[in-house]
This record gives sequence, structure tokens and C-alpha cells, in this order.
Amino acid sequence: MTVFIIRRLVMLVPTLAGVTLAVFLMLHLTPGDPITLMLGEFASATEVARLRNELGLDRPLLVQYLKYMERTFHGDLGTSIRSQRAVLDEIADRLPWTLQLAFAAMTLAIFVGIPMGVIAATTRNPAIDSVVTVFSLLGLSMPTFWSGLLLILLFSLTLGWFPITESHGLRALVLPAVTLAAPAAAVLARMTRSSVLEVLRQEYIRTARAKGLLERVVVYKHALRNAMIPILTVAGLQFGGLLAGAVIVESVFARPGLGRLTVNAVLSRDFPLAQGVVLVIAAMYVFVNLAVDVLYGLLDPRIRYH
Amino acid sequence: MARWFVVVVVLLLLSTLIPASVMHAQPKPGGELVFAATEEPDTLDPQKTGTAITGLLMRYLGDTLVTKDLKGNYIPHLAKSWTISGDGLTWTFQLRSGVKFHDGTPFNARAVKFTIERALAPETKSPIAGALFGPVASVEAVGDLTVVIKLKEPFSPFLDNLTDPRAMIISPQAVQRLGDQFGRAPVGTGPFKFQEWHSADRIIFVRNPDYQWAPSYAHQGPPFVDRIVVRIMPESAAQVAAFERGELSVLLAVPPTDVRRLQATQKYTFFSFLRKGVGLFMEFNITKEPFSDLRVRRAFNYAVEKKLVLNIALEGLGEVAYGPLPPSIWGYWDGVKDYAPRFDPGEARRLLAEAGWQRGQSGFLEKDGKPFKFVLYIAPIDTWRRSAQVVQAQLKTYGIQMEIQTFEFGTLLSKLRAGEHQAEFMGYTYTSPDIFYLWFHSSNIGKGLNFSHFKDTKLDELIEASRKEMNQTRRLRIYRDIQKYIIDKALWVPLWINHFYIAVQPNVKGAKIHPDGFLALNDVYIQ
Repeated sequence: MTVFIIRRLVMLVPTLAGVTLAVFLMLHLTPGDPITLMLGEFASATEVARLRNELGLDRPLLVQYLKYMERTFHGDLGTSIRSQRAVLDEIADRLPWTLQLAFAAMTLAIFVGIPMGVIAATTRNPAIDSVVTVFSLLGLSMPTFWSGLLLILLFSLTLGWFPITESHGLRALVLPAVTLAAPAAAVLARMTRSSVLEVLRQEYIRTARAKGLLERVVVYKHALRNAMIPILTVAGLQFGGLLAGAVIVESVFARPGLGRLTVNAVLSRDFPLAQGVVLVIAAMYVFVNLAVDVLYGLLDPRIRYH
Repeated sequence: MARWFVVVVVLLLLSTLIPASVMHAQPKPGGELVFAATEEPDTLDPQKTGTAITGLLMRYLGDTLVTKDLKGNYIPHLAKSWTISGDGLTWTFQLRSGVKFHDGTPFNARAVKFTIERALAPETKSPIAGALFGPVASVEAVGDLTVVIKLKEPFSPFLDNLTDPRAMIISPQAVQRLGDQFGRAPVGTGPFKFQEWHSADRIIFVRNPDYQWAPSYAHQGPPFVDRIVVRIMPESAAQVAAFERGELSVLLAVPPTDVRRLQATQKYTFFSFLRKGVGLFMEFNITKEPFSDLRVRRAFNYAVEKKLVLNIALEGLGEVAYGPLPPSIWGYWDGVKDYAPRFDPGEARRLLAEAGWQRGQSGFLEKDGKPFKFVLYIAPIDTWRRSAQVVQAQLKTYGIQMEIQTFEFGTLLSKLRAGEHQAEFMGYTYTSPDIFYLWFHSSNIGKGLNFSHFKDTKLDELIEASRKEMNQTRRLRIYRDIQKYIIDKALWVPLWINHFYIAVQPNVKGAKIHPDGFLALNDVYIQ
């Protein structure tokens, strides 16, 4: 297993190199000019040319890319064009916010979504099954900019429970975490329901029941554990997505985070910042995937690592 | 019993003699003022910024040599007085004494010289401040409190430029100490001092206790509130909810859709002001068919019912625009309303027919077998999109097919500079009529804002004359001629000028709206 982990970590280098190349090309080949956006509409042509030269944006693409890679390997992600701050500082400022929100939302999604899926799969009451189905449909189809605003209107404005402009502390975390958790919980509930249903039809479940085990033990110990592999896969993907930041929820709740940072960097064509953020997000994604792969083995001892 | 009664009556009578101002309007120091900004500043360095929000915040953090009072008159601020030589080339400023920067260093002639020279230095890469000081040839500190500024050529917008918040005087010592990081911890002489900036979250300013040099429209002495908190909130609906919950003291930009509802509650104080610029106009690229034909451009000016566009796109919260300047910018010519074409479908049809456009079998206008079809470029702004749809429907009744294409703003600007468009929607905000130079002078074709690509010697000469003329009456006359000429050439279809609304909580007293479109906070106190 150690060998497996080391090999996966080594694979990180070409993966990230590929990511940087893709981001670099996408940013430079789409229309839009950072200089125009920086200097504003009233800038003169000489100012534009001077700044372009200073930022190295007048050099060939390949030269710009190689320069960028060289600096990246030295741990220098450059300086943001817009804020003039080090890209690493910008990311370090936002990362704790994103981690906090991602962990909160994921925890909520797991503790709501998975039990709901299990209940839906095991209940013989069609009403409960319908409730779960409707919930997951709603959770999935409500856009977060809308559900977020609804939560603000209901819980902050009408009931007055949560502050809107506050950004620190647990109280400020509740509404954004719920907004973000709803679609994730919905997917997990659906996934858990079908996966558990499938496992419950297997022979060994009948054996377990025949042994006279409690239904609770049959479901949670024998069925759920074996149903976890696809659930874990989906949860891992979702968590990776949450770590990339949630631009809409961050905007609605005015929380700092990687999502807003990335979108603003792309919109203002802040090349170094956009490349830096995407690099960090890609690295986190790879680590989450690695963790999921390791968890597979813990859940199912039959899985071997090569 | 009777004695008590007399005492009570006398007290009641006395109380009516006490002026209401003493009883109610006693400003109480303390408290904080919270408002939200949709956009985060790029930097708080007034000379390096390109964002509008920084310009606004600098009003509280810094002072300028000259400023404007609440009626828009130029009044002294950090400069006590100034004289301009007869040729308009030498400007001498007498500075106020006893002014200190937030870092404790004294404000003096050397600081003014340093500020202007830094704004003009190429390495500052100043997007706006550099242009404000544009024609400055040299700045000399003559003694401690006298500054002599020499211009390369007479430049009449200069006085107005000096009132721009981005022309504020900054602390030379702080710039030297902080270097590149000055924009994260700016130091000026304003009523509030910078305290902290949490990225994407909030910016906090605190009262400057030493502030004894307020402009004449405000009380003398430091501001009353302890702190200003600027919360960065990208979502305007969340801002409105936070304001209604009382978490924001001021709602700086009430969304048009919420104006009437919030006004109806009668809870809040509302301020409104007309945008300093034309909010929306259709601009023609005169190098492209079919708008190379003046008759077609004029026909469009008769064809569009602007009032309808204003009512649908802006819920009526604004004014119809007639010319290239709004009434809120000095230099606006009052006669423009009668001079400019009014909605007249008959005249529009006549002009189109005169230009050779006839109804074809398809029902659309045709000329030489080709249908009247063009593409309008717009930016992804809600009010622009709605306006475009109204104009599209109106033009269709004349048999004109207009297609709408949306581009992200930076992309749009580069396409317009390159002249790829036939026509576009644009809007501007500017403080002075010198916008004519940026928008219509032929030197700004291809790199500046001359998106009509109109190259005309007469217009160039008029604009150059307006910049050199120091006599205000003669200058006004030139601006009138420019407005008439632009209408004659029908380079635009001016559409609307929006009203901006600011809502203030009932416990926030003493707020005053400045004609340049911001709240003066010196006199504000929390009740």
C-alpha cells in the first residue's frame, strides 16, 4: 500500500503539469485582455504597450509558459496582476474559508444523505420513500443562488436567527453550509438508496437474516458497508468539487473563498492568480481521490493495491 | 396646586423657545457605520486603482487640494487659495498649514510635489490618476506651503481634475516605507484612517481624531462616527436583506427593482442623484454599412421611443437622454432637448426611404436586394439587455432586423476599438465635459474610446479649443457647439440617464449627498 501511495504521489507531477498547460492555453487563447481590464477604458495606447511589456505578455506563448513553469517549480506562483499581492498569499487567505465550508457542508451531506438513503431503501412504507425521493429531487434541482437567498429571507430576515453580514463564527457558517449540503445530500441519498437496495438482494444478506441477526445489524453492518464503494466514490467527487470553492454560495453569503477568487481571477484575466488557484485546486482534487482509493481498501479487504 | 400648574406651563412655553436643533440634532460621537460594496477594490492606492469603489473610499481617506461644495462650486481644501497666470500655464497654490498625514508626518509643498510626480511616473502605471495630472510639466515647492505647477499647455479641465478623489495628496514617507504594499495600507490626510483589510470580506476605517481641516460644507473637527466598515457583498439581494435587517447602516446602491418597495415602507431616508454620464446610448460605427449613411443614423434617432425604453428597462427610474452630456455634468447645454430629434415614426420612415431603403416582399426593409439587418454588441448588463430587446422590437415595426450579441466587457472594448462592430450599446460616467476628448477626438480612434470611428477635423478643432479655453463663458459656448455638432452627425442614439438611489437607516443622522454622487460622512452620527 505504501508503494501504491508513493506511486500515486509521483503521478501528481505530470498531472499538475498537464493542468497548468490546459489552464494556461485556455486563458491565453480566449479573447479578453488583462491590460484593458487593468488600466480601464481611459488608458492611452503607450501606457497599454508599456504595461504589456512589463508583464511579459508581449512575449511568445511558449516562452511565457516555460517561464511560468520554471518559477512554479521553485515554489513561486507569481504575483497577482490585479492586487499586486503574492498569489500564494491570496490563496492562503482564502483557503481556510473554503476548507471550513467544504468540511461543514460535506459532514452535513453525509449525516443527512446516507441515513435518508438507507431509510428509503429499507422501509416498507411507500410514503417515507416518496418523501426521500421528493427531498432529493428538490435538493438537486434548486439552484443554490435561489435556495441561498430563500434561506436568508426566511431565517435571517423573517425569523432573525442568523446574521447576514457576519462572516466569522459558527452562526455565519450554518446557512451557507446548509445551502451547499442540500444538493450533495440529495445525490448521496439517491446513491445510497439504490446501492443498498442492490446489496440487500444478495445471498449473504439472506444468510445473515437466517442466522437470526437483528435487522439493524444486517442493514448497517453487512449491507451498508458493502454498499459504500459507489457512495464513497460519489462523496469523494463531491468533496473535491467543494474544495474548488463554491462561487455562488460564497457570493450570496459574501464569504471569502477559493470560488470567488478563481472566478474574479478569470474575469479580470489575472493570469498568474488564475493559474495558481487552479493548480492548488487540482492538487487538492488529486489528494482527495487518493484518499478515496485508500478508503476503498479499508472498507473492502478484497481490494488489492498494485 | 396652582403653583405647580404655572411651573408646568412655563416649562412648556420655554421648551418651545429652545430651537429644535438643540433638542434633537445634538450629534453624538461614537458608533460605527456599515455599508456594503458589491465590488472589492483592486488596491487602495489612489494612483494605481482602476476600480470605482476605490475612488469612493478615497473620499473618506484622503483630501484634495481643491474640492467642490454641496452645490458643485469649487472651494479650497488642502489649498487655501490659488492663482492662475494669464496664459493658463502657471498655477500657484497656497497650502493650508497645520495639516498632518495619518502617520503623523506633516502635509506640505514637498508632499504635493511628491504626489503629482509619483502619479505621472511611468513606473506607477497609473490608470486614472496619471491622466488627471496629464499636462503637468513640472511641480515646484516654493517654501513650505507654496506649490507652483507648470502645465505644458493650457488645460481647462485641470481644476476639476484636482477635485477627483484619486488626486488626493498621499504621505511620501508612507509610500517610501511601504513600497508596493502602500495600496494595502494607504496613508492620506482624510477624516478617516485606514485600519484593516480582510480580502473578500471587509475593509475598516477609523476616525482621524486630528482632523481639523474639513471642507467648508462640513463641521470643523473630526467626524462623529468611530468606524466605517465596508463589507464586500457581491450579491445585491443579500445586501438589501442585510439592510432591511438593520445590519447595514447605508445601502449605497439600491437595486432599481427594490427602490419603490423600500420607499413604500417609509422607514428609510432616501437620497437620489442623476448619474454623471449617459447611462445608455446606441453608438454607430460610421465606417460600416448601413450606418455610414447619415440619413440612416438620423432616422434611428427619430425611430426609437426612448420613454418606453426607460420605463421598461429601468422601471422609469431615470431620465431620457437627448445629447452626449447629462444635465449632471457642467457644460450641459439646456437647449439640447429642443434641438435633438424627438420620437417621430413618420420622419424616421421618410429618412429611411430617402436613403434608399424600401419595404421588400418579406416585409423587411431592403436596398439593392439586401435586407436591413445589423448586429448590436452589448455587455452582459441586465438593464442593457432589456433596453436592447425593447429597441429591437421597436425597430422591427420599421422593417429593421436587429440581432443582439453579448460580450464580456473587456472583450467588448477590444472589439469596439478594432471597429469590428456595426453598432453597440455603451454608457459612461465622468466628472467633466472633457469626456468629449476621450470619446470623440480622432486621436482616440483604435486605442481610446472613439468607437464611432468618426474622424472629423471640425470636431477635433472644437474639442481642442474647449480644452485650451480658460474663459468659462466661452468654454460653455464651445461645449454647446460640440453637443449640437454630435447631434447633427447622429453618432449616437442617446437613450437614458439613470437615477442612483442611496437608502439610509432612520438612526443615521446628518448624511449629506454630494453632487459628485457620494455621501459626505463628516457630519454623520448614529442616534
